[in-house]
Amino acid sequence: MNGLMNRKLLFVLGPVTGVAMFVAVVMIAMFLTNREYRDPYRAPAATVDATPRVSGLADERADAEAKAKATIYQEAEYRTFPVVGSRVAIWSIAQLHLLFAAFVLAVPLFAFIIEVIGYKTGDLRYDRLAHEFTRLLSVSFSLTATFGAFLTFMLIALYPKFTNYLMSVFSPTFLPYVLLFFAEAFFLYTYYYGWGKFHPVVHLVLGFMLNLVGTAIMFIANAWLTFMMSPNGVSDTGAVISVWDAVYNYTWMPINVHRVIANVAFGGSVAAAYAAFKFLNATSDEERAHYDWMGYIGNFVAISAFLPLPFAGYWLASEIYAFSQTLGLTMMGGAFSWLFIIQAVLIGNLFLAANYYLWLGMGRVEGVQPLQKFIKYLLIGIALCFMVWATPRSIIATVSEVRAMGGSAHPVLGFLGVMSAKNTAVNILILTTFMSFLLYRRTGKIAAVAWAKAGHAAQLAIFASVAVFVISLGIYGYFVEASVRIGLSVPQVSSVLFAMVAITAIDVFLFRGAKRTGEVQWGRIPAISQYVLIFIAVTFTWLMGLMGYVRSGLRQHWHVYGVIRDNSADAFTPTLGFATQVVSVTVLLFFVLIGVVFWITSLHERAEYPAVVPAPERVPHSGGHIVLGGAVREGHTNRLS
Amino acid sequence: MTIPVGPRIGALVLATTAFYGYVGQMVPQNEVQPPAPILIRADLTTDEMVGIGRDITTGKGLCRTCHTIGQTGALRFPDFEGLDVRAMTRVPGLTDIEYFAQSMYEPDRFVVPGFNPGMPTINRPPIGLTDQEILCVIAYLQSLGGTPTVTLQTAHAYYKPPAAAPGAPGAPGAPGGAPAGAPPDQNAAPGQQLPLSAPPAEKVAPPGTPVAPAAGPAPAAPATGGVAR
Repeated sequence: MNGLMNRKLLFVLGPVTGVAMFVAVVMIAMFLTNREYRDPYRAPAATVDATPRVSGLADERADAEAKAKATIYQEAEYRTFPVVGSRVAIWSIAQLHLLFAAFVLAVPLFAFIIEVIGYKTGDLRYDRLAHEFTRLLSVSFSLTATFGAFLTFMLIALYPKFTNYLMSVFSPTFLPYVLLFFAEAFFLYTYYYGWGKFHPVVHLVLGFMLNLVGTAIMFIANAWLTFMMSPNGVSDTGAVISVWDAVYNYTWMPINVHRVIANVAFGGSVAAAYAAFKFLNATSDEERAHYDWMGYIGNFVAISAFLPLPFAGYWLASEIYAFSQTLGLTMMGGAFSWLFIIQAVLIGNLFLAANYYLWLGMGRVEGVQPLQKFIKYLLIGIALCFMVWATPRSIIATVSEVRAMGGSAHPVLGFLGVMSAKNTAVNILILTTFMSFLLYRRTGKIAAVAWAKAGHAAQLAIFASVAVFVISLGIYGYFVEASVRIGLSVPQVSSVLFAMVAITAIDVFLFRGAKRTGEVQWGRIPAISQYVLIFIAVTFTWLMGLMGYVRSGLRQHWHVYGVIRDNSADAFTPTLGFATQVVSVTVLLFFVLIGVVFWITSLHERAEYPAVVPAPERVPHSGGHIVLGGAVREGHTNRLS
Repeated sequence: MTIPVGPRIGALVLATTAFYGYVGQMVPQNEVQPPAPILIRADLTTDEMVGIGRDITTGKGLCRTCHTIGQTGALRFPDFEGLDVRAMTRVPGLTDIEYFAQSMYEPDRFVVPGFNPGMPTINRPPIGLTDQEILCVIAYLQSLGGTPTVTLQTAHAYYKPPAAAPGAPGAPGAPGGAPAGAPPDQNAAPGQQLPLSAPPAEKVAPPGTPVAPAAGPAPAAPATGGVAR
């Protein structure tokens, strides 16, 4: 045994000793080489400068100074941001600015509406809820302004020439923008701090003005960015012909409308996430009930705004096509076509999560709910639509697979990858989610009107006929020319809108004086529902980041499409993988910051810190007690106000 | 052990963003570079022009973003298969070269029945092909179902090339060249790169303007003007 061990040791020691000896030899050689005598370096006599050192240095300094003074000013076209590069730096900051701005613009919108409901109904819960939503604004407003300033400085520093050009076109809009910004600060702070301090009508006027001014600010900023995508009012070389035309370009109004709706959806989802965060941290049933209700309202706002959003998206896309078919085709059929598959995954998840939350919410109502049996059919419908929407036209395949399929499009699934199928799927998806809302609304109620049966039948008939109509148009689209097919989306959208309005109208009258079968127990919902709300908020935020990228990235190697070319090192369009990484990091940063906003906002509810009396006094008095460090905590407030 | 709410929410946010980031890696990854400058020598042969034209249609020209080759069914834009055969007779009075030129310089003047207008003006930004690049594209389009005849000296309703160098193909007096006596100062020698675009005054003839006969081997434009129908 010992012999065996010794042999193993020798096997190990042999190479180790060899390496050690080699290192030792190298080190000895280096030591000796360094100690070897060498003649000091002397410059050849011919090159020796006779000038004394001091005067030589002075001459060099004078030369450098003269050269510096003679330098001709050259305007930098681009500068580079370290590590991540200019584009990613601007991209992230702009995205963070836009996310906070969207939140700050959206929350007052629905806080105002909730306050109006509270004022009209006299229900103080609504007033409290609106105030709680508004609490989130003050810190978010500061962050929006900070990121706005950051973005401006970054643009000036990194893209000076292009920024200068934009300023030359839009300089007349800057003063109104700044004045509106002052006005927004005024209305926001008076609206928030003046809660309960003014007559309700005066307070509502402040809220209305806050929304008006905020929307105007967004419209001005939208003019700048939409001009970059669909320039108007300038010559071929970019000279300004009409500032108003530059503002009122092809995509300005569609973006304005799309952003108002999307901001409300996004703001509602983030506010719902705040409620979820508070619900999960709640310590009493009362608190849980309140935040469950707040989360429900926030999600209701988000999904209500989300349902018409695809229609606003259609309008925006059609205006992009109207401005430039090339731009439209780059978006839908070129470099960005696969991005819409990612978008389909996101929107599909949003629909699934929103419906799931509603279905979980049915459990709030006491007793067995007969409507729950319909959920499985809705789920099947949503899943099918999701699958159709996420089917790409061309399948990623090997060469042999492509040969076997007879092309990059799958012989069967390829038919689901075209717009006829996708438009149909998204319209049915919207209709199905609307039906989920309707089922939720009816939970715990039975219609008591005499015409209840006929009303239900009429609603079902409208739903079924519109669904059949939408699907029929989708199938018809395969058999007609492109010029006809493109126009079919209009009756599809119109019929779905009609169904939503008509069914809701019937429902309102149908459930007047309805019989209650069970009371709603706010707070009686599984905790997972709150994580669903947070998931919805993250998905909305990610979706905004992705769509922000496609809107901006569509210009490809143009700062201003077709007018000012991007000559920077970042002029190329990155891969979708890279873009989604940037979006993910930005979304994470946003949620870290929004977490800080939630935390600061929750400081409102913290117990006030007792005042501290200096140690030498050491006089305990009524309500006080001695604490470590010799200070005395007093029972009264230290608040100044 | 119960995990506190904060880390749970953090994990959910992280997992959700990671999942969407992962979905982003699953789709095809293409990095699109800005179009590289295209070098067009003055002495390009028609065959060489076909090759360059093919590259332009898949690159700088963005043609293949919309137009397919060899596909049928519910297409959004006309297919390129056998295009030259149709181009010769598509618009009465227009040769295939004139038809192709009109499609690129004035795309909305004629739209193929069954399709919506949608073709951008190719010689203007954002695509902004030069007159010579457009000639190369025409050469390529002619090769789809026909025989390319176009050269860099071919004139059409929207472009009149500068006179070629003496002795060069298409030069004054040379077979297929412009009439002798054309001003020699704009000549381009073989191997010399042509200017990116012709002077604006020569670029586009207003509709209805009589057009000079083609200088190259291409068929002459109609006497009534290249854009008449």
